[in-house]
Amino acid sequence: MKRVSALASLTALLLTPALAQSAPPDLTGVWAIVGYRAALKTTDGAVPPLTSEARAVYEKHLADAARGDRSFDATTLCLPPGLPRLMLLDKPFEILQREKAAYFVHQDNRMPRRAYFSEPLPDNPDPLYLGFSVARWEGAALVIDSSGFRDSTLLDDAGLPHSAALRLTERYQLDRDGKTLRARFTVDDPKTFTRPWSAEAQYVRRPGFEIPEEVCAEKLTSTHPQKRRAK
Amino acid sequence: MSGSLDKQNSTRRACGLALVIAVWGGTAVAAEPKTLHNSGDPTLALTAPLRGAKAAPPGSAPPNPDPRDLEGVWWLQGYEYLLGPEPGVPPPLKPQYMQVLERRIRAKNRGMPEADASTQCMPHGMPRLMESPYPVEIVQTPGRLTFLHEVAHNVRRIRLDKPHPKNLQPTFLGDSVGKWDGDTLVVETIGLNDRTFIDDEGSTHSGKLRTVERYRKIEGGSQLELIMTVEDPVTLERPYRYRRIYHWRPDIRPQEYICEENNRNAPEDGITVAK
Repeated sequence: MKRVSALASLTALLLTPALAQSAPPDLTGVWAIVGYRAALKTTDGAVPPLTSEARAVYEKHLADAARGDRSFDATTLCLPPGLPRLMLLDKPFEILQREKAAYFVHQDNRMPRRAYFSEPLPDNPDPLYLGFSVARWEGAALVIDSSGFRDSTLLDDAGLPHSAALRLTERYQLDRDGKTLRARFTVDDPKTFTRPWSAEAQYVRRPGFEIPEEVCAEKLTSTHPQKRRAK
Repeated sequence: MSGSLDKQNSTRRACGLALVIAVWGGTAVAAEPKTLHNSGDPTLALTAPLRGAKAAPPGSAPPNPDPRDLEGVWWLQGYEYLLGPEPGVPPPLKPQYMQVLERRIRAKNRGMPEADASTQCMPHGMPRLMESPYPVEIVQTPGRLTFLHEVAHNVRRIRLDKPHPKNLQPTFLGDSVGKWDGDTLVVETIGLNDRTFIDDEGSTHSGKLRTVERYRKIEGGSQLELIMTVEDPVTLERPYRYRRIYHWRPDIRPQEYICEENNRNAPEDGITVAK
C-alpha cells in the first residue's frame, strides 16, 4: 500500500509539469474587476515614476478633470480607451481562450481585443488604439506583450499619459479556486516614465452574465465635449 | 505576417467604400445602369454591387473539414447595396414602406443620403451586418458562437440551444440563439430595434423584424453558405430570403476599425456636419 502511494506521488510529480504545459487553465468566461480605481498606482501604491515633463501633463489632466473638463480624454468621443485602461474599467469583459489567440471582448463599447499565440511582436507595428498583442503561456500564467500604441490614449481613467514607445506586459494567473483572476501590468515607456513599473488588478468570474450591447455613440449629443469646445 | 498581408491590412485600415473599391481594384461591377423596379428612372438609380472577396490565396492554411466547427475568418464574396430576394430586386415591402425606400434612394441620388444608425457609429443591425464587405471572425466556444466583425467592431453572440430571454429589450443586433440542424447552424434573431436600415439603399424595418440564418460549410469547408430569411409582419408583404457565400480566409486578420473617429464631425440636431 505504502509503495503504491509512493509510486502514485512519483507519477504525479513527473506528470504535473507535462500536464501544466499541455493543458493551460481555461480563462474563457465573463470577468469583472474587483475594487475599481480611476488612478493606476504601482504595486507599492505610489504614483507611477513619471518624467518631469509627463508629470506636468498628468497633473494638468487631474486639474482639468477636477474642473469637470475631460476634453483631454478621447473616450468622451467614444474612441477606444487604449491599454491597460480597457482592462481597468468598471465594466465586465469576456475572455474567449482559443488555441491560436486569446480574445477579450469588452462590454465597453463592444471593443474586441486579440492576442495571438506563437508569434513575436512585429518589428515595426502600425500605431493602433489597442496596439498589437501576442500571447504565451508561462506555466499556468497567460502572458501578453503589446506594442504599437497610439499616444492619444491614456493608461487609466484618471489621465495617466504614455508615448507611442509604450511596451505593455500583462500577466494573468487564475487562483486555485478558478474564480479569481489576478493581473499584473508592467509598463515600459522610457519617454514617459523614469523606469519600468508594475501595477496589479483582480477580477472575479461572472458566471451566466450576458454582456449587454453597449453603444457609446448613443451618448453623443450636440452637448458632448468636442461640441462644447467649439462653441 | 506575410508582406502581402501587411499591405492588405494597412490598406484596409482606413475605412470607406472608396477604399473597398481600391483594394478590390477593378473588381467592382462597372455598372449596367440599374434602377429600382427596373423603372429606368435615374432618380431611382441603384448603387452597383461589389464583387469582392475571393478564395484564400494559394499556400493558405487549409479549411477545417469539421462541418460543425465554423471558427475562423470569413469574407463575404460580394456586397449588395439592396438586399432583396434577388440582386437588384427590392424586398417585398408594403406600399407605404416601399415609398420610404424610394424616398431614400432619391435622396441618395441627390447627394443627400438619409443617415441611419451605422452612420453615427452605432451597430449595423440585421440582416445588414451580415452583408458587410469587411471580414468577420467567428470564435466558437462551448455553447456559443461569437461573431467579431471588422466593420465598426460589431459583436454578435449566438447562444446555442437556449431560448430567447423573456421581456427582451430591443437592441441594434437583437438577441440571437442557434441550434444545429444536421450540419447546418440555424440562428434566429429577434428583439431588434427599428433604428437601422435593412440595407445600404435604405429598406426599412420594424421592431417585429425576425431573421433566420442557415449556415452550412460547403466546398470542403472553403466556403460558408448563408441562407438568410427576413420576416417583418409590419413592413413586408411576405418573408423573403437570399443566399450568400463567405470565403474561408485564414490569411486575413480583422483589423482595428474605429468608426468613432468620425465623431469629430458630431451630429448637430440630428444632422452630421463635416468639419
